[in-house]
Amino acid sequence: MKYLVTDDSKLARLSLVKSLKAVAGDVSIFQATNGLEALKVMKEEKVDVVFLDLTMPEMDGYEALPKLLELNPKANIIVVSADVQTKAKERVIALGAQLHMQKPINVEKMQDILDIL
Amino acid sequence: MKEFTLNEDEQDVLQELMNVAYGNATAVVAEMLDAFASLSIPNIKVMPTKELLKTFQELKNSSYFFSTQAFNGEFNGESAFFINETSAQNLAKHLELETQEDLDDAILELTNVLTSTLTTKLAQEMNTEVSFSLPSISKIPLSEVENIDTFLQYSQVIVIDTELDFQDQKINGNIFILTKDESIQWLKTQLNTILEQLI
Repeated sequence: MKYLVTDDSKLARLSLVKSLKAVAGDVSIFQATNGLEALKVMKEEKVDVVFLDLTMPEMDGYEALPKLLELNPKANIIVVSADVQTKAKERVIALGAQLHMQKPINVEKMQDILDIL
Repeated sequence: MKEFTLNEDEQDVLQELMNVAYGNATAVVAEMLDAFASLSIPNIKVMPTKELLKTFQELKNSSYFFSTQAFNGEFNGESAFFINETSAQNLAKHLELETQEDLDDAILELTNVLTSTLTTKLAQEMNTEVSFSLPSISKIPLSEVENIDTFLQYSQVIVIDTELDFQDQKINGNIFILTKDESIQWLKTQLNTILEQLI
């Protein structure tokens, strides 16, 4: 199983990677700081699960999400965002995200996510 | 006077904490207005008060009014919210308000909900609490922006500047979270503790 953590914030990436390692153990985790980098990783690595922030420079999560699914239709996209508005959740689900989760993702939330996948 | 700066990591941590806090605050306001807001990446800077007042001076030219709300605790300071003339009118239209008094009241309530949710969540993420002093919120005439006593008592401020933007309703405003010297030092310690726990 390959994972990709996409967020422009180092804190958000570190925090998510820590929770992911605590639950999933020693797995392959790639990191990207925006949508463009995420697409590059997806092309090269065909990751299975993408944790995707929405508000990022260069290319945001809304734009990256369908493009990531074009590259790998089987990928599970988990949107991890501070934007907890109902319409934001509806929009990402309509774009093909598996889940929309509120930041930050602690170990308990990560366990829930991985149980669902 | 000691000059404070935020290094790249401290800036990143604060920006992310602010992002989460702002996301929560926006959701509350969006529900209140039955509208959808786009979130922007917060801009964070440590600056001398004089520089901040210059920014406020530029904003006031297009503003309808300006309101502030003080918060106290280990993390203390005040938040400031500017809403421009067009946005104020669009807000009145959106909420079907007929008098200026009703509009002023609605903007003050918007400021109250937005800034208290924002600062409370931000404090919570830094493992502390804030309280709001009374009168917790005030409408400041634009002509008095550069003479506000509370601003003049700060030498340096951390300015967290972000935008509230309801595109469909064409309502936007600028929010500033201001903290002074002792709070900046406290904040730096907290930010580093948070980061160290992850590495």
